[in-house]
Order: sequence, then C-alpha cells, then structure tokens
Amino acid sequence: MAIGLNHAEPMSSDPLEPDHTAAFDRQLEASLRDIGIPPRPRILELVNLEIRADEPDMNYLTQLIMGDVALAAGLIKTANSPFFGYRQKTRNVRDALAMLGLKTASNAIAGLILRRVIPPSPNLERFWDASERTAQLSAWLVQKVGVRYGITSDAAYTYALFRDCGIPILMRRFSGYKETLSRANADASQLFTVVEEIDVPTNHAVVGGLMAQSWWLPEDLCIAIRRHHDVSAVESRNGGVPGASSRQIALAQLAEKLHQSKTGMNMTREWDKMGRACLAVLELGEDIPPELLAEASEFIETMADY
Amino acid sequence: MAGVFLKDVHPSAGSDWLTGLPARGNCLSLLAAELEHGEHPDSHVAAIWLNIDRFRQINNSFGHIVGDSLLVEFARRLRRALPLKGELARVGGDEFVVILSGVSEPEANRIARSLQTALSQPLGIGTQRLRPSVSIGIALAGPEDDASAVLERSDRAMSEAKREGGGRIVQAVNQQHPVQVGKHLAREELGVEEMLHRALETGGLFLDYQPIIRVADGTAVAVEALMRCRVDDQVIPPGRFIPVAEKTGLISHLGDWSLVTAAEFIQHLNRQGLNLKVAVNVSRAQLLTPAFAKSLHGVLAYTGIAPEQMELEITESLFMDKADEVQKNLHAALEAGFPLALDDFGTGYSSLACLKDLPASKIKLDRAFVVDLPNDTRSICVARAVSRLAADLGITIVAEGVETAEQYECLCQAGVTAVQGFYLARPMGELELQKWLLA
Repeated sequence: MAIGLNHAEPMSSDPLEPDHTAAFDRQLEASLRDIGIPPRPRILELVNLEIRADEPDMNYLTQLIMGDVALAAGLIKTANSPFFGYRQKTRNVRDALAMLGLKTASNAIAGLILRRVIPPSPNLERFWDASERTAQLSAWLVQKVGVRYGITSDAAYTYALFRDCGIPILMRRFSGYKETLSRANADASQLFTVVEEIDVPTNHAVVGGLMAQSWWLPEDLCIAIRRHHDVSAVESRNGGVPGASSRQIALAQLAEKLHQSKTGMNMTREWDKMGRACLAVLELGEDIPPELLAEASEFIETMADY
Repeated sequence: MAGVFLKDVHPSAGSDWLTGLPARGNCLSLLAAELEHGEHPDSHVAAIWLNIDRFRQINNSFGHIVGDSLLVEFARRLRRALPLKGELARVGGDEFVVILSGVSEPEANRIARSLQTALSQPLGIGTQRLRPSVSIGIALAGPEDDASAVLERSDRAMSEAKREGGGRIVQAVNQQHPVQVGKHLAREELGVEEMLHRALETGGLFLDYQPIIRVADGTAVAVEALMRCRVDDQVIPPGRFIPVAEKTGLISHLGDWSLVTAAEFIQHLNRQGLNLKVAVNVSRAQLLTPAFAKSLHGVLAYTGIAPEQMELEITESLFMDKADEVQKNLHAALEAGFPLALDDFGTGYSSLACLKDLPASKIKLDRAFVVDLPNDTRSICVARAVSRLAADLGITIVAEGVETAEQYECLCQAGVTAVQGFYLARPMGELELQKWLLA
C-alpha cells in the first residue's frame, strides 16, 4: 500500500460526511462526561474467560480474584453464606471457588461487581436495600418452594439483584426519572414499563437486559430481566419466553410481594397486575399459601435491618 | 404436524405399539367419557394437544430409530409430568394428547406449562445436544361438547401456536382456521441452533471489525462490526448461524447483544481518543420487533455513546420494505440520531426515491460491482454513476469487497468516497484493530 491507511481521525473531520461536526462534538463531549457505568468490567471479563475455558486454571483464577481484595472477600463471604448451607467455612478464595462451583462463582462475582459499579448513593440507598432483600428472599424461596428445572438459589439471587439495574442507569441519564418511577410504582392499570415510556424513550427492563447481556449473564436470566414487567412472560401464552425465565420473573415478584406484605416498604402495584400469573407459574395455587407467608415473615425478620 | 409415524398409529388402533399409550381411537373414547361425566359448572374437561416442533427434521436427519427412541423418551417425560387426574394418548407421529377432567382454566394452563417444561429439557443424540420445543393447544369443554370437535379445537390451537413460531401455548378461543406455517430446520440447522445457545452461555459470540477507509487520505473513518460465533474451537460462519437465528427467533437476542457490544467498543475507543463510527448490521427480523427502537435508546442510555457514532447498516431491500413496523423502526432510529447506511446497494429492487423518503448517510456499493474490475466496463459505469449521485446528495459512497490494487485504483478513479475490503484491511478483533489504528 502506497498510502498511509491506518491513522484514525475524528470522523467529524470528514468533508464528505453530512455536516454535523459541531452538534456531534457537543454530544460526544457530553456523553463522555456522562459515562457512569463502566462497561463489561475487565475483571469480570477475565474471570469469565477463564471459567469458560475447557480446563479452567484454578491457580490463575484464584490469583486473579485475589488481586482484587474486595472481590476476594465478597466471594469468601458468599461461599460462607447460609444459602449454600456448607457446614465447613472457608477463609480462602480457592476453597470458595471449589465450594461454589465455577458457574455459581461467576454469578456471585457479577453481583459483587454490580454493587461496585453502581455504588450506593442517597438516591439509590433504598433501591439497593430493596434489591438485596428481594434477592435474598428469592434465593430463600427457591429452597422453600423447590422450583424445578434449572433454577438454583444463587441464580435466583443474581437475577433479583440485577433485575432493576436499569433504574440507576436511567436515573443518571434522565433528570426527571425519579418522578417517573413514582408514577410507575403507583399505577395500578398500565404496565410499569408503559408508564416509564411516557417520559423516556426506553425503559429500565430493556436497559437492564442489555447490561446483563453485555456482562454475559446467562441467556434465560437476560430474557427474564428484559421481560420482568411483561405479564405475557408469565402467562400461558408466554411469547416464547423460556420456562426458566418465567420462573425467575415469578419468583422475584413473589419475593417482592412477601417483603412488601411484611414491611409495607417499597410498595408497588406489580403484584396486582402479575401476581395471579406468577403464582400459577410457581404452581402455588390462586393465593399465596398462608404458611408460606408466615415462614417468609420469619425469614425476613432474620435479615438485618429488614 | 409431522405425522411421520401416522401409519403406525392407525385411528382405529387401541394402543400405540411404540409407547404403549392409548392411540387416537381410544383417546376419543376417553375424552367422550370424561365429557359425559363432567358436571361441575366451574370445572372443565381440557384437551391438551402437544406437537413436538420440527420433529420431521429430527426424524429425517437422525433416522427413524433415533426418532422412535425420542418418542419413547417424550412419552416417558409426559407420563412423569402428568397429574393424577390426567390421561395421556399418542394421536400421531409426534403428537400427544392429554385429557384432564375437573380442572379450572388456570389449572389447565399451569399443567400445560409443566408438560411443556418437561418436554423441553435438553437431550443428547450422540455428540449433539438438542433442546426440544413443543407447541401446545388447549381446548376447554363441558358436557354439551362433542369429543371430536374438542380434539379438533385443541389441534387448531396447537397449529396456531406453531404458526406463531412454535414453543408456545395457545388456548382455543374460537373456531378460526389459522394457516399453519411450520418452522423447518434441517439437521445441520438444529445443530447450529444448539451451538448458538452454547455460544450465548460460554461467551462464544464476538464481533470482528473491518475498517472502512477514506480514499482521499487513507484514514479509517469507520469500522463495520461483523458478528462471529465460535464453539469448541469451531467457527460457524454468519451465513450459517444468522438464518438459523432468524428462524428460531434468537435473532432479537443476538441483535441486542451486537448493538450493546458494539456500543461498548465505541465507548472504549472514545476513551482512547479514537473517535470513529462503528457500523452494525441490522436484520429484518430485528426491525420487525416492536421493541427495536427501545433497544437503541437503551444502548444509548447504558453506554452513553452519541448515536452518530453507531451506524445501522440496512440492506437495500429492507430499506424498501413496506412493513409498518420496519418503517416505524427505521424512522425511530433516524429520529434518535442513528445514521443509516444502505448496504449491498445495487443488488435489490433499487428505487432511488427511497433515498428521498428515508435519508441514508452512506451507500455501500455491492461487491458484485467490484469483483470484475478493472476489466468490466459496465461495472465501472455503475460505480461512476452511483458515486456522482451520492456526491450530489451529500452521501458517502463505500465500495465493498475490494481485494486488489487494480480494483482499488479503478474505484478511486470512479469517484467512490471510501473502500472496504481485504486489500486494505481484513476484519480484526478489538485488540488487533486498536493496534492497527494506532500504528
């Protein structure tokens, strides 16, 4: 090649492109300033690459995770948590990986990193509290209700933690989004996402689903995040939603309802719209069984600062 | 309905030799008896018709012996998932009917879903893993109904489920006769479908990027993102996996993945001071999805990129597509600020009027007009004419598939704005491209 081909220049300098130089520069500047969520965190990518290898190198994985002290501590804490029911406790990453299994560890790491990239702030404190409790309750429900076919406690936990991750992203992007959320929470007839779309051109389920895809969360979990306010996803004519996704959606909705019933906090109207279908998916009859309500109430009391 | 083994399940036969289940004749008698005894006003008799999606292809691909063993396995799964008050029959090659008595509507739906889940669990055939999919029709009935008519209604509802793409449950609500359009995948395609699911599970999907280079100064003004799929070190070319993704409905999921992945790469390039466009191919199936525009806005919200940095490549025929949803989504994309590029220009029903109604910012001249250069004078004429038109409209014109110095020189003389092809740069992974850009 006689000419220098490989020098990138800002595309706005192209005289033959439509002239949008100034507008583009302004938008680019604004968007760069505005970036809050680091995409596909590198550590998650590296860990997932290794976990997905034919023969993962446990030494390398351990080193990788130990290089991030907070992540290592979080993973050990997860492995020792009552959800997994191991009598033996661990104090090192290698054992934590072995106890959890690599797939579960991958979910746990994604959850830990999510909390880091969307750190608690005064605006988001309640959001995180609610997500964490819904996640814990969902994991507990899996053990309690025994949802079949491929949903584990940790998958239910991860799903519930990520389910609403689109909310903080939209909060950063759209100044009036908090008010939008209040209206959506209070609306008893329209779908939550329909209310959102009155004010913004997308909705938190779509954004959350995209984020989950970019983080390589499992396919059924991504679909469940994307469709979690969609009643048709938990009804019989479910538009091709995998059974595991329907169950994830139903579990987290039930968990949210159980928490609301006990505490009166974070009230939404979603159960009015989706509750019946969710109970049908979970094969729990037409109303929440009273004994489940009672046991959930006891469990919620064991959660710190419920 | 495949009906491959219909000859083995004669309508008058009492039971099916393969699975030991009651056959169609017995199924009708059972249903008639249940209808006769159904008295409670709040409960129904339900006929649930289950048809294994694409079973004909499985049968044709793997042979009847494998097909038979699968049918036995399906019957076993159904027996295990069947509630106590249910009856199970095999009414056709790949078709089963479950009869329930004394059930409410939600209960019938719930049971249908659990039957679907039971049948949909992955199974292995040799080295291949399959995810069976089943279409289900439900008909609810009372004492006044005729057993044959009820079965027919459930069969029609199942056909509607198939028509919607398979893997669905439809409850019969009226006497309509929907047209049945099955999704037919050949053996190889079934394998590709499974590989796509595995790629989604294991991170086997990735994007390569091919630079688009401005003729005037040789700089890269954009890159085209090309979706790749690799499972177990086996690379599946897009020509094989994209059609399967479109047939199975996976394309929306893959499409969203490619949008968000390309947007993240833009974000990454921006951070390094490399501000160039990334072009992403968009299929008709994506544009037919009502939520496509929401995905575009979702990508902007998530990554914070400027829409001008992500160009959507649409084929010429799609540009002319009259489907409401397609046009709605194209206009929504333009309104949001995404530039549109007209891909494979010159191969479809070109109507230059579309450039007036739906303005593209880039035309990509199809490789068919490049491959015979510099000897084909007609191709040179086309390239020259389109370049002039593009220049008048203020549109960039890119020649695709440029593989030799002669082609490159010829196109430069014809007046194209930019070129793309192996002569200048082949598709590269993210890291390689960054090195190439910074070299």
